[in-house]
Amino acid sequence: MALIHEPDAPAASAGESMEAFFNGLWNQNPVFVQVLGMCPTLAVTNSVRNALAMGLATTFVLVCSNTLISMVRKLVQKQVRIATYILIIATFVTIVDYLIKAISIPVYKALGAFIALIVVNCIILGRAEAYASKNSVGKSMLDGLGMGVGFAFALTCLGSVREILGAGSFLGIPLFGPNFQPWVLFLLPPGGFLTLATWLLIFSAWKARSKRKTEVLEEIAA
Amino acid sequence: MSATTQSPQARTPKPPAAEAASSVKMIRLMGSVSLICGLLIVTTYRSTLVPIQRNQEIIMKETVAELLPGVEKQVIYGVQPSGEISVLKSLDYTGPRLFAGYNGSGALLGVVLEASDRGYADVIRTMYAYSPAKQAITGFKVVELKETPGLGDKITSDPTFLANFQNLDVRLNADKTSTAHPVTTVKHGTKKNPWEVDAISGATISSRAVGRALDKSTRDLLPIVNRNLSRIEKGE
Repeated sequence: MALIHEPDAPAASAGESMEAFFNGLWNQNPVFVQVLGMCPTLAVTNSVRNALAMGLATTFVLVCSNTLISMVRKLVQKQVRIATYILIIATFVTIVDYLIKAISIPVYKALGAFIALIVVNCIILGRAEAYASKNSVGKSMLDGLGMGVGFAFALTCLGSVREILGAGSFLGIPLFGPNFQPWVLFLLPPGGFLTLATWLLIFSAWKARSKRKTEVLEEIAA
Repeated sequence: MSATTQSPQARTPKPPAAEAASSVKMIRLMGSVSLICGLLIVTTYRSTLVPIQRNQEIIMKETVAELLPGVEKQVIYGVQPSGEISVLKSLDYTGPRLFAGYNGSGALLGVVLEASDRGYADVIRTMYAYSPAKQAITGFKVVELKETPGLGDKITSDPTFLANFQNLDVRLNADKTSTAHPVTTVKHGTKKNPWEVDAISGATISSRAVGRALDKSTRDLLPIVNRNLSRIEKGE
Protein backbone atom coordinates (compact mmCIF):
# COMPACT_ATOMS: atom_id res chain seq x y z
CA MET A 1 0.00 0.00 0.00
CA ALA A 2 2.98 2.24 0.46
CA LEU A 3 3.40 2.12 -3.30
CA ILE A 4 0.28 4.17 -3.93
CA HIS A 5 1.65 7.59 -4.76
CA GLU A 6 -0.47 10.64 -4.37
CA PRO A 7 -0.46 12.77 -7.51
CA ASP A 8 -0.15 16.06 -5.60
CA ALA A 9 2.16 14.82 -2.85
CA PRO A 10 5.42 13.57 -4.28
CA ALA A 11 6.79 10.43 -2.70
CA ALA A 12 8.51 11.32 0.55
CA SER A 13 12.26 11.21 0.40
CA ALA A 14 13.95 8.45 2.34
CA GLY A 15 15.19 10.94 4.94
CA GLU A 16 11.75 12.36 5.55
CA SER A 17 10.21 8.90 5.86
CA MET A 18 12.85 7.83 8.34
CA GLU A 19 12.13 10.97 10.31
CA ALA A 20 8.43 10.06 10.43
CA PHE A 21 9.45 6.66 11.83
CA PHE A 22 12.02 7.80 14.39
CA ASN A 23 9.83 10.64 15.53
CA GLY A 24 7.35 8.15 16.95
CA LEU A 25 9.97 5.72 18.16
CA TRP A 26 12.06 8.23 20.08
CA ASN A 27 11.55 12.02 19.89
CA GLN A 28 7.78 11.83 20.29
CA ASN A 29 7.59 8.46 22.03
CA PRO A 30 3.92 8.03 22.89
CA VAL A 31 4.56 6.83 26.44
CA PHE A 32 7.80 8.48 27.56
CA VAL A 33 7.34 11.86 25.85
CA GLN A 34 3.67 12.35 25.05
CA VAL A 35 2.52 10.31 28.10
CA LEU A 36 -0.47 8.95 26.14
CA GLY A 37 -2.24 5.60 26.39
CA MET A 38 -1.60 5.24 30.12
CA CYS A 39 -4.44 2.79 30.65
CA PRO A 40 -2.89 -0.19 28.78
CA THR A 41 0.59 1.01 29.80
CA LEU A 42 -0.19 0.51 33.47
CA ALA A 43 -2.63 -2.36 33.20
CA VAL A 44 -1.04 -4.99 30.98
CA THR A 45 2.68 -4.51 31.63
CA ASN A 46 2.86 -7.05 34.45
CA SER A 47 4.81 -9.41 32.21
CA VAL A 48 7.03 -9.02 29.15
CA ARG A 49 4.81 -11.34 27.11
CA ASN A 50 1.67 -9.31 27.77
CA ALA A 51 3.48 -6.03 27.16
CA LEU A 52 4.86 -7.26 23.84
CA ALA A 53 1.52 -8.64 22.74
CA MET A 54 -0.23 -5.39 23.60
CA GLY A 55 2.48 -3.37 21.86
CA LEU A 56 2.28 -5.46 18.71
CA ALA A 57 -1.53 -5.38 18.66
CA THR A 58 -1.49 -1.59 18.99
CA THR A 59 1.19 -1.31 16.28
CA PHE A 60 -0.91 -3.39 13.91
CA VAL A 61 -3.99 -1.23 14.51
CA LEU A 62 -1.94 1.99 14.20
CA VAL A 63 -0.30 1.01 10.91
CA CYS A 64 -3.51 -0.28 9.32
CA SER A 65 -5.76 2.54 10.48
CA ASN A 66 -3.19 5.22 9.58
CA THR A 67 -2.84 3.72 6.10
CA LEU A 68 -6.55 3.42 5.41
CA ILE A 69 -7.36 6.83 6.88
CA SER A 70 -4.64 8.42 4.78
CA MET A 71 -6.04 6.70 1.69
CA VAL A 72 -9.53 8.09 2.21
CA ARG A 73 -8.48 11.44 3.65
CA LYS A 74 -9.48 13.44 0.56
CA LEU A 75 -12.96 11.91 0.53
CA VAL A 76 -13.82 12.40 4.19
CA GLN A 77 -15.96 15.41 5.00
CA LYS A 78 -15.01 17.30 8.11
CA GLN A 79 -18.35 16.69 9.83
CA VAL A 80 -18.08 12.89 9.76
CA ARG A 81 -14.33 12.48 10.09
CA ILE A 82 -14.25 11.31 13.74
CA ALA A 83 -17.05 8.83 13.07
CA THR A 84 -15.20 7.50 10.02
CA TYR A 85 -11.90 7.24 11.89
CA ILE A 86 -13.47 5.41 14.82
CA LEU A 87 -15.20 3.03 12.41
CA ILE A 88 -11.89 2.22 10.72
CA ILE A 89 -10.02 1.88 14.02
CA ALA A 90 -12.74 -0.34 15.52
CA THR A 91 -12.56 -2.61 12.46
CA PHE A 92 -8.85 -3.21 12.88
CA VAL A 93 -9.24 -3.73 16.62
CA THR A 94 -11.86 -6.41 15.93
CA ILE A 95 -9.48 -8.01 13.44
CA VAL A 96 -6.60 -7.98 15.92
CA ASP A 97 -8.92 -9.44 18.55
CA TYR A 98 -9.63 -12.47 16.32
CA LEU A 99 -5.98 -12.77 15.31
CA ILE A 100 -4.72 -12.88 18.91
CA LYS A 101 -7.36 -15.48 19.75
CA ALA A 102 -6.21 -17.53 16.77
CA ILE A 103 -2.54 -17.21 17.73
CA SER A 104 -2.65 -17.80 21.47
CA ILE A 105 -5.61 -18.16 23.80
CA PRO A 106 -3.55 -17.67 27.02
CA VAL A 107 -2.33 -14.28 25.71
CA TYR A 108 -5.88 -13.41 24.71
CA LYS A 109 -7.11 -14.21 28.21
CA ALA A 110 -4.27 -12.25 29.84
CA LEU A 111 -4.99 -9.11 27.82
CA GLY A 112 -8.74 -9.49 28.31
CA ALA A 113 -10.75 -6.31 27.86
CA PHE A 114 -7.68 -4.29 26.97
CA ILE A 115 -7.68 -5.55 23.39
CA ALA A 116 -11.14 -4.11 22.81
CA LEU A 117 -10.05 -0.93 24.59
CA ILE A 118 -7.41 -0.26 21.90
CA VAL A 119 -10.31 1.44 20.09
CA VAL A 120 -10.25 4.27 22.59
CA ASN A 121 -6.46 4.43 22.88
CA CYS A 122 -5.81 8.12 22.36
CA ILE A 123 -2.55 7.45 20.49
CA ILE A 124 -4.45 5.91 17.58
CA LEU A 125 -7.16 8.54 17.15
CA GLY A 126 -4.51 11.18 17.85
CA ARG A 127 -2.28 9.96 15.01
CA ALA A 128 -5.30 9.66 12.68
CA GLU A 129 -6.36 13.23 13.36
CA ALA A 130 -2.94 14.84 13.65
CA TYR A 131 -0.98 12.96 11.00
CA ALA A 132 -2.76 10.47 8.74
CA SER A 133 -5.50 12.90 7.75
CA LYS A 134 -2.87 15.34 6.46
CA ASN A 135 -0.04 13.22 5.05
CA SER A 136 0.61 10.77 2.23
CA VAL A 137 -0.08 7.06 2.60
CA GLY A 138 3.58 6.03 2.84
CA LYS A 139 4.44 8.61 5.45
CA SER A 140 1.32 7.86 7.48
CA MET A 141 2.14 4.19 7.47
CA LEU A 142 5.68 4.86 8.69
CA ASP A 143 4.36 7.25 11.31
CA GLY A 144 2.00 4.54 12.54
CA LEU A 145 4.83 2.03 12.56
CA GLY A 146 7.14 4.40 14.45
CA MET A 147 4.51 5.28 17.06
CA GLY A 148 3.53 1.63 17.41
CA VAL A 149 7.09 0.39 17.82
CA GLY A 150 7.73 3.26 20.24
CA PHE A 151 4.69 2.21 22.26
CA ALA A 152 5.72 -1.46 22.19
CA PHE A 153 9.27 -0.49 23.23
CA ALA A 154 7.99 1.54 26.18
CA LEU A 155 5.61 -1.23 27.25
CA THR A 156 8.42 -3.78 27.07
CA CYS A 157 10.64 -1.52 29.20
CA LEU A 158 7.95 -1.44 31.87
CA GLY A 159 7.10 -5.11 31.48
CA SER A 160 10.73 -6.25 31.87
CA VAL A 161 11.27 -4.34 35.10
CA ARG A 162 7.97 -5.49 36.54
CA GLU A 163 8.40 -9.13 35.55
CA ILE A 164 12.05 -9.36 36.66
CA LEU A 165 11.39 -7.80 40.07
CA GLY A 166 7.85 -9.05 40.58
CA ALA A 167 8.15 -12.61 39.38
CA GLY A 168 11.91 -13.19 39.04
CA SER A 169 11.57 -14.19 35.42
CA PHE A 170 11.90 -12.81 31.90
CA LEU A 171 9.42 -13.98 29.26
CA GLY A 172 8.46 -16.71 31.70
CA ILE A 173 12.04 -18.03 32.06
CA PRO A 174 13.08 -18.01 35.74
CA LEU A 175 16.23 -15.93 36.28
CA PHE A 176 17.18 -16.27 39.92
CA GLY A 177 16.53 -19.86 40.96
CA PRO A 178 14.10 -21.22 43.54
CA ASN A 179 15.26 -19.13 46.51
CA PHE A 180 14.26 -15.82 44.95
CA GLN A 181 11.53 -14.07 46.94
CA PRO A 182 9.50 -12.17 44.32
CA TRP A 183 8.78 -8.50 44.96
CA VAL A 184 5.07 -8.98 44.31
CA LEU A 185 4.34 -5.26 44.66
CA PHE A 186 5.68 -4.79 41.15
CA LEU A 187 2.99 -7.02 39.68
CA LEU A 188 0.29 -5.00 41.43
CA PRO A 189 -1.02 -1.61 40.24
CA PRO A 190 1.29 0.44 42.53
CA GLY A 191 4.26 -1.31 40.93
CA GLY A 192 3.04 -0.12 37.54
CA PHE A 193 2.97 3.48 38.70
CA LEU A 194 6.37 3.22 40.39
CA THR A 195 7.99 1.64 37.31
CA LEU A 196 6.43 4.18 34.96
CA ALA A 197 7.57 7.06 37.17
CA THR A 198 11.12 5.70 37.28
CA TRP A 199 11.27 5.29 33.51
CA LEU A 200 9.87 8.79 32.95
CA LEU A 201 12.47 10.15 35.37
CA ILE A 202 15.31 8.38 33.57
CA PHE A 203 14.02 9.48 30.18
CA SER A 204 13.57 13.16 31.09
CA ALA A 205 16.91 13.28 32.94
CA TRP A 206 18.61 11.86 29.86
CA LYS A 207 16.81 14.35 27.59
CA ALA A 208 17.69 17.30 29.85
CA ARG A 209 21.32 16.18 29.92
CA SER A 210 21.61 15.89 26.14
CA LYS A 211 19.91 19.30 25.77
CA ARG A 212 22.44 20.88 28.17
CA LYS A 213 25.23 19.20 26.23
CA THR A 214 24.13 20.71 22.90
CA GLU A 215 23.75 24.11 24.57
CA VAL A 216 27.27 23.95 25.95
CA LEU A 217 28.58 22.85 22.55
CA GLU A 218 26.79 25.74 20.86
CA GLU A 219 28.23 28.16 23.40
CA ILE A 220 31.71 26.89 22.73
CA ALA A 221 31.13 27.13 18.98
CA ALA A 222 29.86 30.70 19.40
CA MET B 1 -25.31 25.61 21.18
CA SER B 2 -25.72 29.35 20.55
CA ALA B 3 -25.87 30.78 17.06
CA THR B 4 -22.45 32.42 17.43
CA THR B 5 -20.57 29.15 17.98
CA GLN B 6 -22.02 27.15 15.12
CA SER B 7 -20.06 25.58 12.32
CA PRO B 8 -18.90 27.69 9.33
CA GLN B 9 -21.80 26.34 7.24
CA ALA B 10 -24.28 28.10 9.46
CA ARG B 11 -22.55 31.44 9.04
CA THR B 12 -22.32 31.25 5.27
CA PRO B 13 -25.72 29.88 4.29
CA LYS B 14 -25.69 27.53 1.33
CA PRO B 15 -28.53 26.88 -1.07
CA PRO B 16 -30.63 23.90 0.12
CA ALA B 17 -29.66 21.79 -2.90
CA ALA B 18 -25.94 21.97 -2.02
CA GLU B 19 -26.68 20.95 1.59
CA ALA B 20 -28.67 17.96 0.46
CA ALA B 21 -25.89 16.93 -1.90
CA SER B 22 -23.33 17.08 0.90
CA SER B 23 -25.56 14.96 3.17
CA VAL B 24 -25.85 12.37 0.44
CA LYS B 25 -22.08 12.48 0.05
CA MET B 26 -21.59 11.96 3.76
CA ILE B 27 -24.00 9.03 3.84
CA ARG B 28 -22.29 7.55 0.78
CA LEU B 29 -18.88 7.88 2.38
CA MET B 30 -19.94 6.39 5.71
CA GLY B 31 -21.80 3.65 3.87
CA SER B 32 -18.85 2.64 1.73
CA VAL B 33 -16.40 2.80 4.63
CA SER B 34 -18.76 0.63 6.69
CA LEU B 35 -19.07 -1.82 3.82
CA ILE B 36 -15.28 -2.16 3.50
CA CYS B 37 -14.94 -2.53 7.27
CA GLY B 38 -17.71 -5.11 7.37
CA LEU B 39 -16.06 -7.15 4.64
CA LEU B 40 -12.71 -7.00 6.44
CA ILE B 41 -14.23 -8.17 9.71
CA VAL B 42 -16.20 -11.00 8.13
CA THR B 43 -13.13 -12.20 6.19
CA THR B 44 -11.04 -12.24 9.36
CA TYR B 45 -13.78 -13.95 11.34
CA ARG B 46 -14.16 -16.67 8.70
CA SER B 47 -10.44 -17.28 8.35
CA THR B 48 -9.70 -17.37 12.09
CA LEU B 49 -12.67 -19.52 13.08
CA VAL B 50 -10.92 -22.86 12.52
CA PRO B 51 -7.61 -21.94 14.24
CA ILE B 52 -9.48 -20.48 17.23
CA GLN B 53 -11.54 -23.63 17.66
CA ARG B 54 -8.45 -25.78 17.24
CA ASN B 55 -6.63 -23.73 19.91
CA GLN B 56 -9.52 -24.12 22.32
CA GLU B 57 -9.66 -27.84 21.70
CA ILE B 58 -5.91 -28.23 22.23
CA ILE B 59 -6.08 -26.35 25.53
CA MET B 60 -9.04 -28.45 26.70
CA LYS B 61 -7.36 -31.70 25.66
CA GLU B 62 -4.16 -30.73 27.47
CA THR B 63 -6.06 -29.81 30.62
CA VAL B 64 -7.99 -33.10 30.58
CA ALA B 65 -4.76 -35.03 30.00
CA GLU B 66 -3.15 -33.22 32.93
CA LEU B 67 -6.07 -34.00 35.25
CA LEU B 68 -6.40 -37.64 34.18
CA PRO B 69 -2.86 -39.02 33.77
CA GLY B 70 -2.63 -41.83 31.24
CA VAL B 71 -5.60 -40.69 29.17
CA GLU B 72 -5.56 -41.87 25.54
CA LYS B 73 -9.05 -41.12 24.27
CA GLN B 74 -11.47 -38.34 25.15
CA VAL B 75 -15.22 -38.00 24.59
CA ILE B 76 -17.10 -34.78 25.29
CA TYR B 77 -20.71 -34.90 26.46
CA GLY B 78 -23.10 -31.98 26.70
CA VAL B 79 -25.63 -31.98 29.54
CA GLN B 80 -29.07 -30.91 28.36
CA PRO B 81 -31.42 -29.01 30.70
CA SER B 82 -33.48 -32.19 31.09
CA GLY B 83 -30.45 -33.98 32.55
CA GLU B 84 -29.87 -36.10 29.45
CA ILE B 85 -26.37 -36.26 27.98
CA SER B 86 -25.30 -36.36 24.35
CA VAL B 87 -21.93 -36.67 22.61
CA LEU B 88 -20.64 -33.30 21.34
CA LYS B 89 -18.73 -32.96 18.09
CA SER B 90 -17.16 -29.61 19.03
CA LEU B 91 -16.58 -27.61 22.21
CA ASP B 92 -19.22 -25.11 21.17
CA TYR B 93 -21.92 -25.80 23.73
CA THR B 94 -23.58 -23.43 26.17
CA GLY B 95 -24.63 -25.92 28.83
CA PRO B 96 -22.37 -27.90 31.20
CA ARG B 97 -19.88 -30.22 29.50
CA LEU B 98 -18.43 -33.52 30.65
CA PHE B 99 -15.00 -34.60 29.40
CA ALA B 100 -14.72 -38.35 29.75
CA GLY B 101 -11.18 -39.76 29.58
CA TYR B 102 -10.28 -43.37 28.71
CA ASN B 103 -7.00 -45.25 28.83
CA GLY B 104 -5.40 -47.23 26.01
CA SER B 105 -7.64 -50.28 26.53
CA GLY B 106 -10.79 -48.14 26.59
CA ALA B 107 -11.52 -48.23 30.33
CA LEU B 108 -12.97 -45.06 31.86
CA LEU B 109 -10.33 -43.21 33.91
CA GLY B 110 -12.57 -40.44 35.08
CA VAL B 111 -14.70 -37.50 34.07
CA VAL B 112 -13.43 -33.92 33.99
CA LEU B 113 -15.97 -31.23 34.81
CA GLU B 114 -15.99 -27.47 34.94
CA ALA B 115 -16.70 -25.36 38.01
CA SER B 116 -16.65 -21.62 38.44
CA ASP B 117 -17.60 -18.99 40.99
CA ARG B 118 -16.86 -15.38 41.79
CA GLY B 119 -13.53 -14.85 43.49
CA TYR B 120 -12.02 -11.62 44.80
CA ALA B 121 -11.31 -9.93 41.46
CA ASP B 122 -13.37 -11.82 38.92
CA VAL B 123 -14.89 -15.21 38.21
CA ILE B 124 -12.47 -18.08 38.90
CA ARG B 125 -12.85 -20.89 36.36
CA THR B 126 -11.60 -24.31 37.33
CA MET B 127 -11.72 -27.89 36.07
CA TYR B 128 -11.61 -31.00 38.19
CA ALA B 129 -11.35 -34.70 37.62
CA TYR B 130 -14.01 -36.93 39.13
CA SER B 131 -13.47 -40.61 39.58
CA PRO B 132 -16.83 -42.47 39.61
CA ALA B 133 -15.08 -45.56 41.03
CA LYS B 134 -13.60 -43.70 44.01
CA GLN B 135 -16.55 -41.28 44.30
CA ALA B 136 -13.96 -38.58 44.80
CA ILE B 137 -12.31 -35.60 43.15
CA THR B 138 -8.85 -36.73 42.07
CA GLY B 139 -7.47 -33.69 40.29
CA PHE B 140 -7.99 -29.95 40.12
CA LYS B 141 -6.77 -27.09 37.98
CA VAL B 142 -7.54 -23.39 37.82
CA VAL B 143 -8.01 -22.49 34.15
CA GLU B 144 -8.76 -18.79 34.47
CA LEU B 145 -8.31 -16.29 37.26
CA LYS B 146 -7.57 -12.62 37.81
CA GLU B 147 -6.88 -12.82 41.56
CA THR B 148 -4.28 -10.65 43.26
CA PRO B 149 -0.74 -11.85 42.50
CA GLY B 150 0.96 -13.15 45.62
CA LEU B 151 -2.32 -13.60 47.52
CA GLY B 152 -5.36 -14.99 45.73
CA ASP B 153 -3.37 -16.52 42.90
CA LYS B 154 -1.80 -18.96 45.40
CA ILE B 155 -4.79 -21.23 44.68
CA THR B 156 -3.00 -22.24 41.49
CA SER B 157 0.31 -23.14 43.14
CA ASP B 158 0.06 -23.69 46.91
CA PRO B 159 0.98 -27.39 47.38
CA THR B 160 -0.98 -27.85 50.64
CA PHE B 161 -4.08 -26.35 49.07
CA LEU B 162 -3.78 -28.44 45.92
CA ALA B 163 -3.33 -31.56 48.07
CA ASN B 164 -6.99 -31.08 49.10
CA PHE B 165 -8.07 -32.22 45.67
CA GLN B 166 -6.03 -35.39 45.39
CA ASN B 167 -8.83 -37.30 47.09
CA LEU B 168 -11.75 -35.06 48.00
CA ASP B 169 -14.79 -37.06 49.07
CA VAL B 170 -17.84 -36.21 46.96
CA ARG B 171 -19.85 -39.42 47.27
CA LEU B 172 -23.56 -39.18 46.56
CA ASN B 173 -26.35 -39.36 49.11
CA ALA B 174 -28.60 -42.41 49.52
CA ASP B 175 -31.14 -41.50 46.82
CA LYS B 176 -28.39 -40.32 44.46
CA THR B 177 -29.86 -36.85 43.89
CA SER B 178 -27.00 -34.80 45.35
CA THR B 179 -23.71 -35.15 47.17
CA ALA B 180 -23.84 -36.65 50.64
CA HIS B 181 -21.70 -33.88 52.12
CA PRO B 182 -21.38 -30.45 50.52
CA VAL B 183 -17.79 -29.47 49.69
CA THR B 184 -16.96 -26.88 52.35
CA THR B 185 -13.97 -24.63 52.73
CA VAL B 186 -12.66 -24.49 56.28
CA LYS B 187 -10.11 -22.22 57.97
CA HIS B 188 -6.50 -23.13 57.34
CA GLY B 189 -5.38 -26.06 59.49
CA THR B 190 -8.85 -27.11 60.66
CA LYS B 191 -9.67 -29.72 58.01
CA LYS B 192 -11.12 -32.82 59.70
CA ASN B 193 -13.34 -34.52 57.12
CA PRO B 194 -12.40 -35.77 53.65
CA TRP B 195 -14.99 -33.49 52.01
CA GLU B 196 -13.53 -30.31 53.49
CA VAL B 197 -11.15 -27.96 51.70
CA ASP B 198 -8.35 -26.53 53.82
CA ALA B 199 -8.18 -22.81 52.90
CA ILE B 200 -4.96 -20.87 52.31
CA SER B 201 -4.43 -18.21 54.96
CA GLY B 202 -4.14 -14.95 53.07
CA ALA B 203 -6.24 -16.24 50.20
CA THR B 204 -9.43 -17.02 52.08
CA ILE B 205 -11.84 -15.39 49.60
CA SER B 206 -10.30 -17.21 46.64
CA SER B 207 -10.19 -20.53 48.56
CA ARG B 208 -13.85 -20.16 49.50
CA ALA B 209 -14.74 -19.37 45.89
CA VAL B 210 -13.09 -22.63 44.83
CA GLY B 211 -15.05 -24.51 47.52
CA ARG B 212 -18.34 -22.93 46.45
CA ALA B 213 -17.65 -23.59 42.77
CA LEU B 214 -16.85 -27.26 43.42
CA ASP B 215 -19.83 -27.68 45.73
CA LYS B 216 -22.29 -26.29 43.18
CA SER B 217 -20.81 -28.21 40.27
CA THR B 218 -20.64 -31.54 42.15
CA ARG B 219 -24.19 -31.20 43.46
CA ASP B 220 -25.58 -30.42 40.00
CA LEU B 221 -23.54 -32.67 37.78
CA LEU B 222 -22.35 -35.73 39.69
CA PRO B 223 -25.88 -37.25 39.93
CA ILE B 224 -26.12 -36.86 36.14
CA VAL B 225 -22.71 -38.50 35.65
CA ASN B 226 -23.69 -41.42 37.85
CA ARG B 227 -27.10 -41.84 36.21
CA ASN B 228 -25.46 -42.07 32.79
CA LEU B 229 -22.38 -43.93 33.95
CA SER B 230 -23.01 -47.07 31.86
CA ARG B 231 -23.17 -44.94 28.69
CA ILE B 232 -20.12 -42.91 29.61
CA GLU B 233 -18.16 -46.09 30.36
CA LYS B 234 -18.89 -47.37 26.88
CA GLY B 235 -18.03 -43.97 25.41
CA GLU B 236 -21.27 -43.58 23.46
